[in-house]
Amino acid sequence: MADAICIESVVKRFGAKTAVDNLTLNVAEGELFAFLGPNGAGKTTTIKMIAGLLMPQEGRVTVCGHSMGHNGLAAKAQLAYVPDQPFLYEKLTGREFLHFVAEMYGLSRAQRDESLGELVDRLDIGPFMDQLADTYSHGMKQRVVLAAALLHKPRVLVIDEPMVGLDPKTVREVKDLLCDMARAGGTVFMSTHTLDVAEAVADRIGIIRHGSLICLGTLAELRTQASGQESLETIFLELTDTRDETV
Amino acid sequence: MTKPSEIAPVFTPCGIGVLWRMKSRALWNHTRAVVAEAPVKVFATGIFLAAIWMALYMLFRWGFFFFQRDALQSAVAIPLLFNFFFVTLLVLLTVSNAILAYGALFTHEEAAYLMAAPLRTRTTVALKYGESLFFSSWSLLLLGMPLMMAIAHVQNEAWLFYPLFIAYFLAFIPIPGALGLLLAWMIVRYLPRSARRSLLHVGVAVLIVAVLWGLQSVRRWEWIDENWLDGFFTRLSIIQASVLPSTWVTRGIEAAVADRRGDALRYLIVLVANGLFLSWFAIHLVSFGFVGAFDRAGGSRGETDRPAVETSGGVAGMIFAFLPKSPRLIAAKDLRMFLRDPLQWSQLAILFGLMSLYLINTPRFSVADGPTRWSSFIPFLNLTAISFILATFTSRFVFPLISMEGHQLWLIGLLPISRAWILVAKFSFAMVVTLSVATGVNMLASYILRISFVSSVVHWAVTASVCWGLCGFAVGIGARLPKFDQHNPARIANGLGGTINLIASVALIAFMLAGMGFVTYRVGEGGINSRSEWMVFILAGVIVLLGIAAGTVAMAVGARHLKRIEV
Repeated sequence: MADAICIESVVKRFGAKTAVDNLTLNVAEGELFAFLGPNGAGKTTTIKMIAGLLMPQEGRVTVCGHSMGHNGLAAKAQLAYVPDQPFLYEKLTGREFLHFVAEMYGLSRAQRDESLGELVDRLDIGPFMDQLADTYSHGMKQRVVLAAALLHKPRVLVIDEPMVGLDPKTVREVKDLLCDMARAGGTVFMSTHTLDVAEAVADRIGIIRHGSLICLGTLAELRTQASGQESLETIFLELTDTRDETV
Repeated sequence: MTKPSEIAPVFTPCGIGVLWRMKSRALWNHTRAVVAEAPVKVFATGIFLAAIWMALYMLFRWGFFFFQRDALQSAVAIPLLFNFFFVTLLVLLTVSNAILAYGALFTHEEAAYLMAAPLRTRTTVALKYGESLFFSSWSLLLLGMPLMMAIAHVQNEAWLFYPLFIAYFLAFIPIPGALGLLLAWMIVRYLPRSARRSLLHVGVAVLIVAVLWGLQSVRRWEWIDENWLDGFFTRLSIIQASVLPSTWVTRGIEAAVADRRGDALRYLIVLVANGLFLSWFAIHLVSFGFVGAFDRAGGSRGETDRPAVETSGGVAGMIFAFLPKSPRLIAAKDLRMFLRDPLQWSQLAILFGLMSLYLINTPRFSVADGPTRWSSFIPFLNLTAISFILATFTSRFVFPLISMEGHQLWLIGLLPISRAWILVAKFSFAMVVTLSVATGVNMLASYILRISFVSSVVHWAVTASVCWGLCGFAVGIGARLPKFDQHNPARIANGLGGTINLIASVALIAFMLAGMGFVTYRVGEGGINSRSEWMVFILAGVIVLLGIAAGTVAMAVGARHLKRIEV
């Protein structure tokens, strides 16, 4: 299967601090990848480089074969990015915002309505679609932002901390949505601290620490690396603690 | 779940029209919401705006009539007035556009959202440029329209003057706008954060030097002197340079006033051509280097200068040494947050900077040497301007303070100190900020206009009382009518409590200024003598007491309510 996201020898520094240090990582089409790491490990910086918000000093990032540095427009057309703090225009209703997104991605009215109908049902955003976004709770915002991200049927979804502030029902719905997207051939790159979600849905897991990938593989492979530990939480703590001792 | 879309061979990004439509929709929704949520505020704002417009119109009209009494005076003064006006606007609009463009392009979440979308960078930059032009040009609307009406009334202009005048304004706006955009981009692109801070310090130092230079010039300047006209033109030649856009507008308006339509049109074309070229150049240059600048802005955010942080903490602690420890820490925290939030201090700096500029350019003669009416009227006008600027500041930035703390719960709900002390801390912070800047402008006015010591002390005392009253109102009403469920301070200020505070503040100022106006009138009519001095002292004392009492009562009401409130 072809790679949807290629991160090749990427280095990103902020002043004297190296946030991402020679990171190489490929995520295949149809894969749900969970990106884990302690606070300040470089997860969000990596995600922002994939989304084209930050540029690496060394190395390159490609999305669906398009270099983010040289052909960013084509790469972004295939991508959807959901940040940890969902952004909505506060003075637009959910419906107005989604129509705007559809227009921005060049969807026809028929394409928009078909996709929107599906997402409204799936994410249960119908009851508040015609209210201004400044009246939404965090969970409502997150659901509308997810709908906006999936509206143009992206080939790659990059999502930072998707479960924060969501109720259990919505967490379940989002998990199902991400799995379905991967099953349909899309790629999901998810950064999270919610280890049980990563454990439940991820095809592969990568753990980053101090800007370097310290561990990469399926859950079974990670268990092997971590002396056969059962839960991802224990594996995560052991792997990150082990590296602490060696630094 | 349907399958992801196939890769389109060539993706065509949408144009700026889609974004403008969305923005227009958001503006429409916002306007409707404001009218529905706070109709009193909309009505009050409309009335205030109309009053300001009318006052400005009367002032300009009176000024033009005054200058027109003498043909030579009219020929010299009116173009100079326009030159000053447009040079000032050029500088102010450049700075305000730079601040707006910096915020819109490099700090707002929206910029990141648009950057991640498949849009040309040029589209995002052009959108934000257009927005900053829109938001920064309200001052032109406020000042320009009464100016236009006044000069048209005085000169009996033909109808063609009006569209020409508006066209000059519209053609002028993009020039400082583009300069501001370039300035913001260069600061982010080429200066690391610590250097940006250094630049700020250098900017403040340059401003101080400029003010001192202006003071020196004023001191050397003798109004009645055989060489005054030569000196006058030499000093003003800089602002009348042919390369300055302000000169083009001035000459164009002069031509329009004199009904020289060919010249008027020529200057308009020069303005339009330069505005379009500069906009095109700025948008393309900034777009070209935008990704790098955005990257730097994002990367350097949060870096702080440790020694500066420690120093600011120490200084803030010393300023509030009169408070017990816990409220002192709260007041010092608020002061540090104020100093680190350009949105707050820049608005105050711009408003008082504008006022200082006006003061520096006022003393064509000494108030002390002028007629008695002038010597009392000009300080009264200063007091009026200072009071309204302070009311704007306290309503926007001081009023939401309690609501914002309540939202965080820990301070009001959990900190083991009396809630009344929290109010005292907020009040102390607000007093330090407002009284510092007001005293600065007051002293500048007294020095430049050579106002007598007694008059200076009286005006300072009234100013301090205005500060007390306004800060007391903002903190007290903020505690009596808090809005704990709102995160956005602007929305807190726009709510019912904010509107009541604004109206109460304006009413308080109106009462105090009416008293001072009466004093000014009596002094102006009767001159200074021992009887009028006594009257000034007694009336000023009453006015000072009124301000202090009003602020204190508001604080007491707020403290009583806050004590009982459940957060």
